[in-house]
Amino acid sequence: MNRILPLLPWLLALALLAVLPQVLTVKYYLHLSILALIWVIVAQGQNLIQGFTGYVSIVQAGFMGIGAYGSTLMGLNFQWPLWATMIMAPLITALFALATGYPSLRVKGHYFAIVTLAFNLIIVIVLVNYSELTKGEAGISNIPKPWGGNREAFYYLALVLAASLTLLAALIARSRVGEILLAIRQNEDLVAALGIAAWKYKLFAFVISAMYAGLGGALYAHFQGFINPEIFGVAQSLDAILAVILGGSGTIAGPAIGAFLVVFLPEFLRFADSFRLILYGLILVLATIFMPIGIVGIIKAAFARIARREVRHGG
Amino acid sequence: MLIEILQQTINGLAIGGVYVLIALGLTTVFGILGIAHFAHGSISMFGGYLTYFLVTAQGLPVLAAIPVALAAGILLGLLVEILAYRPVRNANHINAFIVALGLTMMVEGINLQLFGHEQVVIPTGLSRVFRLGGITVPELRLYVIVAAIVLVVAMMIFVERTKTGQAIRAVAENRDAAILMGVNVRTIPLIVFGMSTALGVAAGIMVGALFAIAPGIGEGLVVKGFAVLILGGLGSFPGAILGGTVLGITESIAAGFISSAYKDVIAFVVMILVLLIRPQGLLGRAP
Repeated sequence: MNRILPLLPWLLALALLAVLPQVLTVKYYLHLSILALIWVIVAQGQNLIQGFTGYVSIVQAGFMGIGAYGSTLMGLNFQWPLWATMIMAPLITALFALATGYPSLRVKGHYFAIVTLAFNLIIVIVLVNYSELTKGEAGISNIPKPWGGNREAFYYLALVLAASLTLLAALIARSRVGEILLAIRQNEDLVAALGIAAWKYKLFAFVISAMYAGLGGALYAHFQGFINPEIFGVAQSLDAILAVILGGSGTIAGPAIGAFLVVFLPEFLRFADSFRLILYGLILVLATIFMPIGIVGIIKAAFARIARREVRHGG
Repeated sequence: MLIEILQQTINGLAIGGVYVLIALGLTTVFGILGIAHFAHGSISMFGGYLTYFLVTAQGLPVLAAIPVALAAGILLGLLVEILAYRPVRNANHINAFIVALGLTMMVEGINLQLFGHEQVVIPTGLSRVFRLGGITVPELRLYVIVAAIVLVVAMMIFVERTKTGQAIRAVAENRDAAILMGVNVRTIPLIVFGMSTALGVAAGIMVGALFAIAPGIGEGLVVKGFAVLILGGLGSFPGAILGGTVLGITESIAAGFISSAYKDVIAFVVMILVLLIRPQGLLGRAP
């Protein structure tokens, strides 16, 4: 029983998400839910490097762009089948992440963040200017969609992928590698002093996180049927960071909850359209100052308090 | 060819001056408070926008608008320090950085709300062009270079020669020892923020007069500022001055000879190359 109990909320959430398309009457909410599931994948990747390893990367949306453009352009130029290009997308992104991760991970803290941000800017500049290939700022439309654009089928594809990649993230977090990543977050010098080559583990976390983004980007492209460079800008990378912080950094449930928040919150803030950026920034600042452990952290703390009280009363 | 290189070097000096001012602000805040003050660029642009607004909508002469914009910018900088950075002073550095990112979104939002989406250029009326051999130097560009040099020298004198400057350096060297020596560590952050925001707003006005101000420019500028710090070496004033000048000139020459669309890419590639070859920066001390 004790082994199954922690899984219960997960199974419940999964069951709920599985019946969701059957009960949602507003088609737009199904659309948003698919986007949220794609963002679950992106945020789980971000959490591996930001939450577990403690390196705030600001290139997640750039990597999404590489996955999205990679998959789309391979289909367009080589006439490869959609499934093949979608599987290739994270692999191409991984190559880019290897090349960019090596120099970026030589610096720590803020400077790592700045260097990754510079990479995001470079990706956007190249996507805008290399227009013979990418069609520039106008973007690429009529990207093929699987199942002739059947939304419900796409929802289940996104759900299966989001669930299995969340599981994979949990397995990584519990493995020896995950423990070393956590140790790097706590005290990198100590890890190095133990004779562990910290850079290999950091690079691993960075590349895996990029692969998550690459797959998320490819899914996005084949779901929306349209991409342009602006979608993969720094602002969206900040969304990935926000998802991790709001949900709960370094937890498995956190990024999943946070992803739904960053997709649905702007919709609810629509009424304040021109103030949205200010409100969004304010939420980020307040959340970091007042609830740095995120929603999952707060729930966990509340449960721990109840459990302690029960122990005391039960004697 | 040589003339062209000299011409691009002069052009690069003006934009390099802007980078130096931004980088000096960032490096003092980082050195003394340990914060990567990411909202710096957006606050600088706020000052630039305000100058434009005062000149065009209120009809103020540019020289009268500048002190008002400086004062308003400094006020915004102080508010940011007191309301947002102070609460996360003792949290881990990731949290402070994320607060800085949130602040950037807020200030960008405020800029949009107050000044709109339009790209604006501060009208200075300075349109004379000096010719020297085959090189042309627009009057405005010359004044920007001179103003940047004056501001940098003034800041160096303030930090190196005055008592307050000594206190700032003491806090940067060793916070606890500075407290024991009777330095008021509550006012130092305010002075530092005031000083760096003033330099930033000056840079913002220069950008507005030389090129244009538009949404997103501030973020690009702050990234360049950090690139300068990485180039020059963290926490090094001479490094920031050298790094900013080098970046400005590199960018100008790259724009003139290679491609103006990719000039930013070239600037970042230079930064990444320096990281690979000399992670401590050009003038930084080896760890």
